[in-house]
Amino acid sequence: MSVNTNSLQLSDYLEKLPGTTFKRLYQQPSTAFAIFRRMLPHLAKTFVMAMLYMPTPFLISDLEIWVKPTSKRQKDQALATLRSLHIIQSAGPQSMTLTTNFRNSLRLALEGGGDHHSFGVPSTLPVPSDVDLAFLDRYARKKWDDILHYVVNSVEYSDMRDKDTSGGGPKASVKELLIAGRLVEKRSEANSQVWTLLLLWLEAADAAGERAGMDSVDMLSFLFLLASLELGRGYSTDALTEPRRNMLPYLVDFGLIYIPPHDHQQYFPTRLATTLTSSESSLRSVSAGFLAASEGGISDAGDKNAIILETNFRVYAYTSSPLQIAVLALFCELKMRFRELVSGKLSRQSIRKAVDMGITSDQIISYLATHAHEQMHRLAAAQKKPLLPPVIVDQIRLWQLDTERMSVCPGFLFKDFESVREYEDMANFAGEIGVLKWRNDRKGMFFASKVEQIKDFSKSTSPTPYPGRLFLNVTDLWLFAVKNRRKAEQ
Amino acid sequence: MVRAVRGVLVECDPAIKSIIVNINSENNEYIIEDLDDSHLVVQENKVQQLKHLLDQRLKDTIMEPERDSDSDRDVKD
Repeated sequence: MSVNTNSLQLSDYLEKLPGTTFKRLYQQPSTAFAIFRRMLPHLAKTFVMAMLYMPTPFLISDLEIWVKPTSKRQKDQALATLRSLHIIQSAGPQSMTLTTNFRNSLRLALEGGGDHHSFGVPSTLPVPSDVDLAFLDRYARKKWDDILHYVVNSVEYSDMRDKDTSGGGPKASVKELLIAGRLVEKRSEANSQVWTLLLLWLEAADAAGERAGMDSVDMLSFLFLLASLELGRGYSTDALTEPRRNMLPYLVDFGLIYIPPHDHQQYFPTRLATTLTSSESSLRSVSAGFLAASEGGISDAGDKNAIILETNFRVYAYTSSPLQIAVLALFCELKMRFRELVSGKLSRQSIRKAVDMGITSDQIISYLATHAHEQMHRLAAAQKKPLLPPVIVDQIRLWQLDTERMSVCPGFLFKDFESVREYEDMANFAGEIGVLKWRNDRKGMFFASKVEQIKDFSKSTSPTPYPGRLFLNVTDLWLFAVKNRRKAEQ
Repeated sequence: MVRAVRGVLVECDPAIKSIIVNINSENNEYIIEDLDDSHLVVQENKVQQLKHLLDQRLKDTIMEPERDSDSDRDVKD
């Protein structure tokens, strides 16, 4: 019953897209540039730069000379990334080149030129006097906090409702909740949280299909465009196409852009938008600036270091931020609320409720630890004890274990072997590659979490003339088809 | 001929396993293979349903401990 804590990531989303979509995406220099900046490891960037102005395909043997033998793994990973993003393609058996659209667009992005308007069209209108960096930061921060607050609050209801259908329903909300929980912990990761929200939105638009008049490819490339804009500068809405103009109200809701109420001809990207494709290291400083900018004079500036946890399971939080109170209410029975203080208690029921919603005990513990009150730190340092009382930490973990009556692992059961040797060979092989989950030598069966490699193994060792001694039976194929269809429907 | 059957490996206490077997005995739609005291293979698309039924059974049979009374106030709820 392990909860998948990976939030929806841009790379996962991109990997699922077909090659034709990438062709369209890469028509925009801003997109090609954004993918280059944000999605590639450094080694992959080096390869791309090497190939960018190369007139002939790049021989793989040449590449191997380039890379130290000790870094073979990094090289393979870089190439795999480039391939999955459709940036390189094979130009023969032993050589490769950049895909045409990507090469042209990246060249355009680097050299400038062309009238593609891919990096936005600055507005010529005067900037309203009240719109400055601090204002945009405050605005974006407030919008984003509102979204989180909504997510945290709504999760309870949607979860209760979806429980009965127990389909993929609660997933999305739970995911968002995890994000919310994590975002509150670490503001520096806001950027990937924003992406998660945006990707959910793109997927929803995909599901709505044509009738909504939204095209997720165009939307995605517009997002990349936004990311290339300059903070604090006004851009013209007139230069946008009709569908993109229709996206603007949503983006305003997300806090990615600001449109002055009296002046709809220009829009201002906020820091949430302009940092979308920054790489992690640069983001840290940006978000530090964000924090510094927003903490001056904002009501929830004190939402860090507010929680006191006692050994009797009581929790006191010196906060008045609705967001933090809502997060606490997810795993804690709140009993009293005063001005700038809420108090409550951790209990079996409250933790169980949280675990049912997909929050893990580790997340709760780390939330409590990151937000621990100064007094907790002082006490812990003075007595040389851990920050959180160990008894509580253990109990939270135990309570979670309590809800996990069974652990599940999808995979394949192998049975009906023809000989003991065949069984032993395959079971041992499965053990070696780390997919063996259970085996019983007496029954001659084993359970493996993955099947592909074992299949190849059985092919390679099979004495019989025909390949593929492993057949999935008819029900398996049927199940597989049902699962795929369900995925497609989602 | 070797066969690979798609399914979900469930690992649990013998007590929980016997409840699952009991649930399954109603119309035999969950369990693909009964492996041993603490392991079962069940249909992949039925896992959620099975979990739900199991939770219900447990709720009916297990006494939740009373609210702990270490509180110095409002224990009445």
